[in-house]
Amino acid sequence: MRGYEITGLSVADRDGRPIVGPVDLAVPSGGVAAVMGPSGGGKTSAVLAALDALPEGLRRVGGRVSWNGSVIRPGRSARRWRREHAGLLGQDPASDLHPLRTVTGLLLESPFDGSRAEHREAAHRILRRLGLDPAQVARRRPHELSGGQAQRVALARAVVGDPALLVLDEPTSGLDPEALERVLQVLGERRGAPGRATIVITHDRDFAERVADSVVALGDTPPERPGRRGPLLRVAEPGRPAALELRSLAVAAPGGGTVLLEGVDLGVRPGELVALTGPSGSGKSTLLRAVAGLHPSWTGSVSVAGQEVPHRVEERGRALLRAVQFVGQDPRAALHPSHRVGSALARPARVLLGSSRDQARESAVSLAAEVGLPAEALHRTPARLSGGQRQRAAIARALAAQPGVLLADEVTSALDGRTARHVLELLDALRADRGLAVLLATHDPAVAARADRVLRIERGGLVEAEAAVGAGRSTGGVPEATAVAAPGEGSPTRPERCR
Amino acid sequence: MVNRLLATVLLAAVLATAALGGWAAPYDPTDPVAPPWQGSGPGHLLGTDALGRDVWSRVLSGGADLLAVSVTAALAASATGLAGGLAAGWLGGAADRVLTALTDLLLAVPSLLLALVAAIALPGPAAVVVATVCGGAPLTLRVVRDAVRAVRTTGYVEAARCRGESTAAIALREILPAMKGTVLADLGLRLVVAVQIASALNVLGFGTPPPEPDWALMLRENMAGVAMNPWAVAAPALALGLTTTALALSVYLATDRDPRATTSREDTRAGI
Repeated sequence: MRGYEITGLSVADRDGRPIVGPVDLAVPSGGVAAVMGPSGGGKTSAVLAALDALPEGLRRVGGRVSWNGSVIRPGRSARRWRREHAGLLGQDPASDLHPLRTVTGLLLESPFDGSRAEHREAAHRILRRLGLDPAQVARRRPHELSGGQAQRVALARAVVGDPALLVLDEPTSGLDPEALERVLQVLGERRGAPGRATIVITHDRDFAERVADSVVALGDTPPERPGRRGPLLRVAEPGRPAALELRSLAVAAPGGGTVLLEGVDLGVRPGELVALTGPSGSGKSTLLRAVAGLHPSWTGSVSVAGQEVPHRVEERGRALLRAVQFVGQDPRAALHPSHRVGSALARPARVLLGSSRDQARESAVSLAAEVGLPAEALHRTPARLSGGQRQRAAIARALAAQPGVLLADEVTSALDGRTARHVLELLDALRADRGLAVLLATHDPAVAARADRVLRIERGGLVEAEAAVGAGRSTGGVPEATAVAAPGEGSPTRPERCR
Repeated sequence: MVNRLLATVLLAAVLATAALGGWAAPYDPTDPVAPPWQGSGPGHLLGTDALGRDVWSRVLSGGADLLAVSVTAALAASATGLAGGLAAGWLGGAADRVLTALTDLLLAVPSLLLALVAAIALPGPAAVVVATVCGGAPLTLRVVRDAVRAVRTTGYVEAARCRGESTAAIALREILPAMKGTVLADLGLRLVVAVQIASALNVLGFGTPPPEPDWALMLRENMAGVAMNPWAVAAPALALGLTTTALALSVYLATDRDPRATTSREDTRAGI
């Protein structure tokens, strides 16, 4: 057969326990195959095993991989084949980019047939096609890019040499819809190109169906999350102060210099879910980090439950620290590599709530059950969890402080559809039970649709987007889209500067 | 790949020689017991030296002081560099500039020169410690500082800040475990360098006073009779080499844990 073929491939951990497989996957020349499955199902491991790029602790235990009918033997020849013929976009593109190289330098790392000038030309062309202006980004380094931009740079690096085999691991997790269209276009061109095969690992069914000719499902579906699933009951409490209130907030870009956001006024009530959308690089993450006290260059005022908070997280008292918790974009860096998940979940209770060791341990167990982490995950280090499990652990750690406000930065982007739904349902339950207010940055319209209100960052300010439709879900007694900063003021359903 | 068993055996042998060698020695290491420069033979396994002392007994009892001084010096250098590196990396700003400038200043001076100056001013063991700290701590400091700067913006350190951990708790619970490998690998280098400095000073005569047995001193004393009894020089040299190797391997044993040990252990790695 022409194309890339994997038959009977299995992966085991170092104790010989099977992780995934046997897997069969055939991508004909000019074809695009999508590998789908729940997080923790071994999608990534299976494909990395075929390329002989497995992380330490996992090994390939059988199977056959061939390209155009000739077998690629595991070991050195598979690695050489990968170097020469494969383009690989990892799950965590931001950390795959060398921190000291410029965007152009990163793109020139890829193998390319042609002179250096042609390579550079091709690199800039692909950046433009992915919606990045080379004049702006070419000289930047990875820390000067937003999550979505870094992801597109890593994608550009993988495709610029037009590799025979292109493997994309969750290429859409950090992308807004516009960027997603551009990625689809670029991938569409490989379709039907002779001698080119593409494998896309994704949990996004829509994306898989649009981009791929064939879809392979891997891994067992995990059991439904146990725990309560009651009706959402929420009581509007107009008398209580907003859980989180931002007044004329101006935020400088990370690294100083330009003002990224200006005149931001926003109130989030207890129990409310406000989604923050906007193109990548517009400052969604920076705004959340500013409120969390991790990005101190801002002016204006931020108050939590009526109490004004200092700029830096170090200046905040224990009550304020408890009240605001932040969950970041990158689940890989969020958990300490040498702490077991159990101790990571128990620690906030020890420090912020003053619980005893045993209480903290018990609360870690119940938190894990609440977010759908298997109990044995508590004894593992993050390296032995899947991307989705890591994100759930990071969310559980934030919830351990029993916060009033949760700042969630793209928390569902690393999760498959089912897990993402569980996390959002969990947030709904917490909003209903504890009156947790959630400010959620997201690029995913489906996630934003669950919010009570959707705000969009446009030209450095916050704009009320179309009133959220609530996705057919009862929103209790909270009137839609009226909970802006000054309670009782007009109804800002038409697009206007939100205040 | 190093055989763990071999490494463990070598390390245990070196430590046992240092700790118990004195008791195992067949003769008093400072007593003349036979004619000088006798070759190896029955009764005297490695022959005798210029004064007719038993070389085997002197080799057995000559490592304790050297090892103790080197390990102390290396630990002191590593601890100083670690503390400085944590401060420079975490605090940044003026603290970083001052500490980095200080390390540049120390690194500009050759460490053997530092050792000689220290040896003239201070008694032997103290000179070794001071020279190792001045020569080694700046290197450790730089490595640790850069590692801290890389770790301080990660999600887990930010999460620790967000729950109001004290600076000490962040350093001990979050940052140090994340750099454990780097710090231990660096400690291995400090150990090797400390043995080198200690033996260099002893060879030059700044360390242990003559009648006492000491590997480095033996090299100097017995060089004159190397043609008559080669073992008198080769044995202490071999002992020094094996000791350095064992110390370097000890770091390997500490960092590279047995893969089988990681899977089933309960939640003990970081106390909550």
